[in-house]
Amino acid sequence: MSAAPTDPVSSRAGVEATADRPGSLREFIDRFARDTLERCTRCGRCYEACPMTPYEPRLAGARGGSVVEGLLPMLRGERGSEQALDWVRICTQSAACNDACPEGIHAMRMLRVARMSALGQLGAPAQMSAPEDPLFFRRIEAFAATQLDEAQIEEWHRADPATRGAR
Amino acid sequence: MSERVVFWYGCNVLRHGDIIHAAIALLRAIGLEVAPAGGPGYCCGTTKDGNLRAAEGMARRTVDKFNTLTQALDGQRLVTWCPSCHRHMDQFMGEYTDPRFAMSHFTQILHAERDRLRQRLVRPVERRVVLHRHSGFREVDVNPLVEDLLDLVPGLERVPGGPSVPGHMCSALAGLPPVMKDVTRGVRELAAGASASDVVTVFHSCQRMLCGLEQEEPFRVVNYVSLLAESMGLDLEDDYKRWKAAGDAEAVVAAIGQPAVERAGERFVREQIVPEMLRRPPR
Repeated sequence: MSAAPTDPVSSRAGVEATADRPGSLREFIDRFARDTLERCTRCGRCYEACPMTPYEPRLAGARGGSVVEGLLPMLRGERGSEQALDWVRICTQSAACNDACPEGIHAMRMLRVARMSALGQLGAPAQMSAPEDPLFFRRIEAFAATQLDEAQIEEWHRADPATRGAR
Repeated sequence: MSERVVFWYGCNVLRHGDIIHAAIALLRAIGLEVAPAGGPGYCCGTTKDGNLRAAEGMARRTVDKFNTLTQALDGQRLVTWCPSCHRHMDQFMGEYTDPRFAMSHFTQILHAERDRLRQRLVRPVERRVVLHRHSGFREVDVNPLVEDLLDLVPGLERVPGGPSVPGHMCSALAGLPPVMKDVTRGVRELAAGASASDVVTVFHSCQRMLCGLEQEEPFRVVNYVSLLAESMGLDLEDDYKRWKAAGDAEAVVAAIGQPAVERAGERFVREQIVPEMLRRPPR
């Protein structure tokens, strides 16, 4: 069966800029958090839809509403419950939670913001760590050196975008 | 004049230059002029949840560069490859910066021009394939788009169906070994159940994390753009998969080849690249 016709434009957010666009990432997160806190009914359907929870034994038998109740303080920059942290840790961005929310809350983004909070970025002390690979970009550069030629690396990665062309 | 687009391929796909080159060739085949951009200088910053100041700085830098680049090209469209970059632009970057371009995923662009693409797919590819799907990239429903694109390839037999696994691509599961173990077992079962010669990946991290299965299984692991490119008559080898199949550490270094090893830095290759090549998908 053929896929439904697709509008090839996925996002026009910037093209249709609005006057009340948040001025910073933190301002955007704070607005999102406020809206989520106001609208979330703690029904727990986002948690119940998550395909990852069976992989965390500590979440066995957990009630969705209770886990969500323990997660929402993280959106305010406060500490989350242990079960909420376990849920954040195993999130793989499957987005099943988005479909499940009866209020239309972007639950996947809610978990991502909770993760930022758990990493100590929204005010509360860090409750979990996510060690970064200090060689991440060095690794990317090394693979680029094996897969692209010098001219491609120069033009595609480093050239001043104002002077580039297309072929 | 044909439309000019910026093709933002991302960072981790640089392990698979064949995917980048195939994608560019496919965009050109449907009549687009393409300005590729990627690597660390265009990183979206999605890995910086633990450092929001860095995340914002990288986002602003990258959006500014794309604004400049699209303006310089007299274009207005950014074509993404990586679902992480696409998602981060959609969910965070584009919300507080000022991107002055429309954004489409590569699959959407190709699918919208599939009648034009079909005319370029002239070489039969006699394979029986089944698609490895993820459920998580909800921004664009890529699985049916890729299925339609595969169905354009003459000689190719696609076995429909198969389960979708969590996450938007396999790298999302990398930190959860029990999950990845279930995924690789599922891929084996998927291929066996379909009597498939090839398991087809949609994204680069699935290709990276599953291609090692070829060492022990009777099927190939191949990205869909490789099949489309093959049907266009292009021969683009998956070097990463070849290096993984090379054998021990010295064989991997030899397979990469001395000129490439020197460009990447021999010590770095031996300490960082070779161990990655020797890793196999969990059983």
